[in-house]
Amino acid sequence: TLTDIISTVEFNHTGELLATGDKGGRVVIFQREQESKNQIHRRGEYNVYSTFQSHEPEFDYLKSLEIEEKINKIRWLPQQNAAYFLLSTNDKTVKLWKVSERDKRPEGYNLKDEEGRLRDPATITTLRVPVLRPMDLMVEATPRRVFANAHTYHINSISVNSDYETYMSADDLRINLWNFEITNQSFNIVDIKPANMEELTEVITAAEFHPHHCNTFVYSSSKGTIRLCDMRASALCDRHTKFFEEPEDPSNRSFFSEIISSISDVKFSHSGRYIMTRDYLTVKVWDLNMENRPIETYQVHDYLRSKLCSLYENDCIFDKFECVWNGSDSVIMTGSYNNFFRMFDRNTKRDVTLEASRENSKPRAILKPRKVCVGGKRRKDEISVDSLDFSKKILHTAWHPSENIIAVAATNNLYIFQDKVN
Amino acid sequence: MEFKLEAHRIVSISLGKIYNSRVQRGGIKLHKNLLVSLVLRSARQVYLSDPCPGLYLAGPAGTPAPPPQQPGEPAAGPPAGWGEPPPPAARASWPETEPQPERSAVSEAPRVGDAVPAATVTGVGDVPQGGEADAAEAAWNRVDGPRQAAAGEAEDPAGGWGVFPLGSRAARRPCGCPLGGQDPPGTPAATPRAACCCAPRPAEDEPPAPPAVCPRKRGAAGVGGGPASCPAPGSTPLKKPRRNLEQPASGGEDDDAEEMETGNVANLISIFGSSFSGLLRKSPGGGREEEEGEESGPEAAEPGQICCDKPVLRDMNPWSTAIVAF
Repeated sequence: TLTDIISTVEFNHTGELLATGDKGGRVVIFQREQESKNQIHRRGEYNVYSTFQSHEPEFDYLKSLEIEEKINKIRWLPQQNAAYFLLSTNDKTVKLWKVSERDKRPEGYNLKDEEGRLRDPATITTLRVPVLRPMDLMVEATPRRVFANAHTYHINSISVNSDYETYMSADDLRINLWNFEITNQSFNIVDIKPANMEELTEVITAAEFHPHHCNTFVYSSSKGTIRLCDMRASALCDRHTKFFEEPEDPSNRSFFSEIISSISDVKFSHSGRYIMTRDYLTVKVWDLNMENRPIETYQVHDYLRSKLCSLYENDCIFDKFECVWNGSDSVIMTGSYNNFFRMFDRNTKRDVTLEASRENSKPRAILKPRKVCVGGKRRKDEISVDSLDFSKKILHTAWHPSENIIAVAATNNLYIFQDKVN
Repeated sequence: MEFKLEAHRIVSISLGKIYNSRVQRGGIKLHKNLLVSLVLRSARQVYLSDPCPGLYLAGPAGTPAPPPQQPGEPAAGPPAGWGEPPPPAARASWPETEPQPERSAVSEAPRVGDAVPAATVTGVGDVPQGGEADAAEAAWNRVDGPRQAAAGEAEDPAGGWGVFPLGSRAARRPCGCPLGGQDPPGTPAATPRAACCCAPRPAEDEPPAPPAVCPRKRGAAGVGGGPASCPAPGSTPLKKPRRNLEQPASGGEDDDAEEMETGNVANLISIFGSSFSGLLRKSPGGGREEEEGEESGPEAAEPGQICCDKPVLRDMNPWSTAIVAF
């Protein structure tokens, strides 16, 4: 069903938990089972840990607008106690959820009986102290904060700051800074809305805090540029500290040049030294110290360049692919069509195309590299460009923070792949 | 020529997307609409610039009349490449060379919305009547607001073209500039409106920022203020288009049907492509960018709110009327 389409995937900071959000506003959290001593060779698998409804469809009566419940992004907070905390957002509202376990329950109340019914005080002749007894594990999710009414446009990104006290939310034209404890106000740190909307030429497409420097963040635009801002410079970070842009290749100019240069995702490397951006056809790695061009450019599916008009017609050209780093920043991954996803090894410069499908996803099966045939002659295992299924797109992927475990969302299916154990 | 057809097709597709975005769940997506408007602009530039033999889009060389300003476009005379107006036969031939492929391209392209294909198929015959006509007209003017106001030189004959509602397409050239008077189809290009220099804008990039607008003039004209509100000499036909809207197309206009289909698309191109705000702007009059009112930006571009000065339009989507009317 449509509401099952996964719209975001995110590992937590230890990789123990994997959260997915879907179009129906639900969040499903998977937990990696502990590797038991008895089964050393059996890597921990992910099982459903908790499911809850994060957002519901809403209606803005003032503007006669329906607000979709689709979860756009989930971001985990670092764990600071036994409970887990995550932020989830739809187009308009960010929520902080607490996911906690309950494996004991109090028994022996004086005023309530075992079923919870109130007892008649007149019948109580003795007093006892309630005790905690073990119970079946129950995982409950409670909304702890609701950050609402701060965005006129559609929220596309949230990012937790490394100070663990603040986070930002970005919509098409503005970025707001929040304190986790304060829900009734946020601080606007970027505003690119022109005084006259007729002069609008670009929108914010993604934003992220630096992994270590709590004063630094980046945001990408629909024009293919990235701006790095330092919150110490001024309260309103409309003037960037660094501006990353690659000059356009005039030979590639077409009607759709602007669309395919729009950045759909931006991610800092774990080291904080690089940023990676995804536009429609490529993934680029930028060194923060060099603004005039990326240091690496990877072609994801360049064979689509001649098909842009058709992709415009069927709206595929507007698909927003995400990109992820592996834990050591040596490999980057992003999705494509036909349930293909691509990995690029930055060191060896090798790349691979894999497919997330039921046929080749038997447990322990090894994924076979796929190849798209561009020319006339198609080899046996290749698939031609015209046979690609553009309805099967992998927009959201995640990589375990330290191990080679990846989560790939293919429409309404979640695939989890692990590096084979030697 | 193929570029022109391709551009035309892309324009049609883009318009369909814009139309459909208004009924999509979750409200208008600013990012997507911005990208579509950029494509529309590029396609429009190609569409209007690709020279076709026999294509009559410009006046005689050396015509002094200033072009109707697209917002942000610097004023310029007819660029090189636009020569003498073709003879009447050539002019009549323009629709003939294009309508078949274009019509099919246009009608098949926007699969999503049935408004556009319906528009092209119905052509003249389905001129909206009565209230719809007013709606279309008012919507048209509103749409054209920023462009028209941005046109510094409003005095040129085509300067009043922004005032012309859809029904005036009988009196308009494909590029959207109004004709000087009641021109039966096939009339040679001797009339002053030959100074349609709105087409030759292609080589120059449109700066995205149109100058400030004066919506009031347009608004009044849109409501049917008549020539008084428009200084342009081309304002005479103002009343005529309104009448046209309210009546079914006469037989005399049938001959123009083929030409009009593409002509209407050209009109839409000029209007939609001129500025992004044409897609999302609120009402031109009081609805200027107030701080809070404007906050709603794209979300406010809803039927009930845009047509605040026309009670009859409250239930009507101005964009759909604009498109359907074609």
